[in-house]
Amino acid sequence: MTTPAVTTDEALIRLVDVSVTYPNGKVALNNVDLDIRRGDFIFLVGPSGAGKSTLIRLLIREQVASSGRVYLAGRDLARVSRSQVHRLRRRIGVVFQDFRLLPNKTVRENVAFALEVTGAPLSEIRRRVPRLLSLVGLEDQASQLPSQLSGGEQQRAAIARALVHDPAILIADEPTGNLDPVTGWEIVQLLLEINGLGTTLVMATHNQEIVTALRRRVVALEDGRIVRDELGAAYRRS
Amino acid sequence: MGFLRFLRFALVRAGQGFWRNRMMSLAATATVILMLVLLSGLVIVLGGLNSGLAYIESKVGVTARLVDDLTTDQVDALVTDVEQIPGVASVTYVSPEEAMHRLEEAYAQRGQTLDTGGADITLYASIEVDLTDPAMGDSVAAALSERPEIERITTRQEQYDKLIGVTNIIRLAGIAAMVLVGLTVVFMIVNTIRIAVFSRSREIEIMRLVGASDAFIRWPFIVEGMLCGLLGAVVTVLLVALIWGPVQPLLIEIFQMPTAVGAQFYTFVAALILTVGLVVGMLGSWISVRAHLGAGA
Repeated sequence: MTTPAVTTDEALIRLVDVSVTYPNGKVALNNVDLDIRRGDFIFLVGPSGAGKSTLIRLLIREQVASSGRVYLAGRDLARVSRSQVHRLRRRIGVVFQDFRLLPNKTVRENVAFALEVTGAPLSEIRRRVPRLLSLVGLEDQASQLPSQLSGGEQQRAAIARALVHDPAILIADEPTGNLDPVTGWEIVQLLLEINGLGTTLVMATHNQEIVTALRRRVVALEDGRIVRDELGAAYRRS
Repeated sequence: MGFLRFLRFALVRAGQGFWRNRMMSLAATATVILMLVLLSGLVIVLGGLNSGLAYIESKVGVTARLVDDLTTDQVDALVTDVEQIPGVASVTYVSPEEAMHRLEEAYAQRGQTLDTGGADITLYASIEVDLTDPAMGDSVAAALSERPEIERITTRQEQYDKLIGVTNIIRLAGIAAMVLVGLTVVFMIVNTIRIAVFSRSREIEIMRLVGASDAFIRWPFIVEGMLCGLLGAVVTVLLVALIWGPVQPLLIEIFQMPTAVGAQFYTFVAALILTVGLVVGMLGSWISVRAHLGAGA
């Protein structure tokens, strides 16, 4: 089943003929067109070097396309000035395979940190952090350091931190890569729950089981091109 | 309220960074102290020299000893003629009695009494010529040397010129030393903040990801550099306050003239030290932040 065409009004993320070429000549993305609607849950699959990470970097404006346009909620990311990039990033939450928690801060402090450094008042921090920890099921681990947590708990903490600004989009770059299969499933269940609350989710993954089991929209990249974009798809083309 | 929150954030993070990196921070602070001690020494010495110069300037003129037994009319005529010489601001006749009175006063100021041993001493009469411009001393002295009423001429021009020369040398050498030391201090702070940035690279990465503004990322490091400068300045101000008491008599002893280096001057020096400390700290950290966090974080 292929994806239906969407209008600019419906697309939360739109890539139009996007190419990314690095200075050494490597083409990371090659004429990519992609529309992601609000509320979508998308698996981004493909072998290493296919362009998944590059695409993610485009979305969080860590990189600018060599050609083509990337739109976020109708806004051309290339036209976002450097001084405004930080505001854009508050609309996008990101979690990584290696969690990237601050080792000297507790779970509560790690989540609160994301609010402190964006100027949130103490009252808001006190209000939001417990709610986020509750959402990810870490109320009892709030005072623990990352070193005292399991991999799954660390990833939950990272997810809570990624959600501090109520982002429209949550990008998960191999969120289960460092986790055992059971824990990996728990994290995916949490991501599904977050998606059910309205957050658009883009999950880059090599985990064939999860992708095939869930039968969501799959966008497959190979050598910088989208080779498949299917709803209800398995990891591999059937 | 947003600004206060930001300020508090920057100060807390700067303090944490200073403490976390305390060996480097203290080393940078020590170089700030060194520079500011040199600066304050230079400013104090130059201040003393300048006030000495002002004193000499007020005294610079020509003193001409008169031949004995001049009549009042001759003295009046001489004074009138000398007042017409170009470069002369005013002429004052000092009688032998007035000269003796001045000598007794000078002794009294030092807590001593003039003791002539019973001898009847008569000092010479003189005229004191104030100049419109210290540079005119030689030409006025040359004009006076032609007068028969004048026996001997003395000027303080030479002393003034010597002191100007010394002052200029000290000023130039001081500025050169300050520049060298200042560059060293800035380099130390640049390095200290560079280490601070690297040691917090993970936090910076997270801050960028979660949408912290450039100001929230950069300013804690800039404030951290300012803390090094401010701490160094405060220590220096205290050191200067300790040595302030002995300084003035020492300057008088060295330069053999009144050197007004009073409380108001100390306030000026303290303000200068604090300002330079803060500016140097801010400059070093700003350079480091630009270099290692980029023009836009």
